[in-house]
Amino acid sequence: MFDWLTPELREQAVDGLLVTVGLTIVTSIASLALGYWAALSRTSGGAIRKRAAGVYIEIFRNVPALILVLFFAFAVPNIVPLEPRRTIFFSNPVADALGAITGVPIPYYLAAAVLALTLNTGAHLAEVMRAGFNSVPASRVDAARSLGATSLDAVRAVVAPIGVRIAFPAISNRLIHNLKNTSLASFVAVPEFFQVVQGEITRTFQARTLLLFAAVVYLLLSTVMTAGLKLIERRLGQVQGETEPLRV
Amino acid sequence: MSEQLSFLLGIFPELLIGFPNNRPGGLLLTVLLSAASLIVGTVFGVVVGAAHHSRFSAVRFIASLWVQVIRGIPLLVQLVVVHTTLGAGQIPGIETSALQSAFVTLVVYTSAYQGDVIGAGIASVPASQVDDARLLGASAFGLLGTLLIPTSLRVMRPALITQAITVFKDSSVVVVLGVVDLTTTARIALGGDVGNAPFWVATYLLVGALYFAVAWSAGRLVVHYDTSARNKFETISS
Repeated sequence: MFDWLTPELREQAVDGLLVTVGLTIVTSIASLALGYWAALSRTSGGAIRKRAAGVYIEIFRNVPALILVLFFAFAVPNIVPLEPRRTIFFSNPVADALGAITGVPIPYYLAAAVLALTLNTGAHLAEVMRAGFNSVPASRVDAARSLGATSLDAVRAVVAPIGVRIAFPAISNRLIHNLKNTSLASFVAVPEFFQVVQGEITRTFQARTLLLFAAVVYLLLSTVMTAGLKLIERRLGQVQGETEPLRV
Repeated sequence: MSEQLSFLLGIFPELLIGFPNNRPGGLLLTVLLSAASLIVGTVFGVVVGAAHHSRFSAVRFIASLWVQVIRGIPLLVQLVVVHTTLGAGQIPGIETSALQSAFVTLVVYTSAYQGDVIGAGIASVPASQVDDARLLGASAFGLLGTLLIPTSLRVMRPALITQAITVFKDSSVVVVLGVVDLTTTARIALGGDVGNAPFWVATYLLVGALYFAVAWSAGRLVVHYDTSARNKFETISS
């Protein structure tokens, strides 16, 4: 029943899975930080910062993740002529070091995929966090302000922690979406799990078995990640008392 | 600069409506494909959402399994799975084109996401109203059609449109099947011609701008309905 799972395939699949999981972890953490910063800027920054965060959120939320991946990986290097291009993007100490650490043949494409996914997920996370911040009851902000907090302090110390907890289910959804979006890196020659599976299909033509295998693996990954995020959500605890000014 | 502009102007009609011998394509096909999948998928989504509230636990289980499984697998993988099953004649009598496979996959994908939203929307209708309708003798379908869906639509609309925008953007992944949507058209137009290298950035910026224009405009609708739903709610509650 498992003849198709040859030792070589198992080894490659594990390598691919490691790239997928690594991509997910790195882009999740980076986009959480970026999204938090953008949501904070949007809620309580100065006029320019508010504006900049708004433009960032709108642009990167409304362009497909695939287009971003293709843009950063394939289009951007073409800005410069062939000769400096090789040195700038593909063969330099930084790229070599990244390649040595990750074992990925073309490290620039990996970096481009990380950048694209982070910018995309960060914008979506900023939007759900902002909605969370906005649903924190005004009474809490008033309480903080009356204790002498500045408006930025109040947002950072009171609104953001509560808002993130309120927004947590939506944040989880988006992080799961990000896990699935890592499969888009297969379009730009990043040897993540789906790229490995596709490579194996072109070699063995066992499309149905291998695709079923891929689907089951992704389902397992997202189930495990969902469970992990649920655990974190429970750890964070419910927001006590009135959570939203109105529930719709 | 003018070189860039003339290249973009040259491929612009193709990006909008596709290559002359293969229309509709480009943005038009992206819009048509996602609109058709959204309409059919949302109809199935009503079934999935209603099934979440079935009195039979087996039906509830199947509905939530459907949502969990579809949402747990990347659309990219789903597209390839569907096309190798339906498109390669694995099932006797069925052999779909790449476009048909993409449509079927997007319908399935939409049904799970919209089903989840509709299930939650139905749950938001106060139980007292459901009891009243039951007392008046409403059947399950009557309940759904005259009370549950219309009442919860106001609450669900922002989330439904948000999901619709997600499907529109995610449909770019059909490039894997070679469906000549906006993304595929751009890739073909740039092609393997090394001479086109200087135009890659401008072309992808244009493609991004086209996706942005549609998604952002639809997003304005979300803001509009979200505000009107909140305002409505406030007048009810006060």
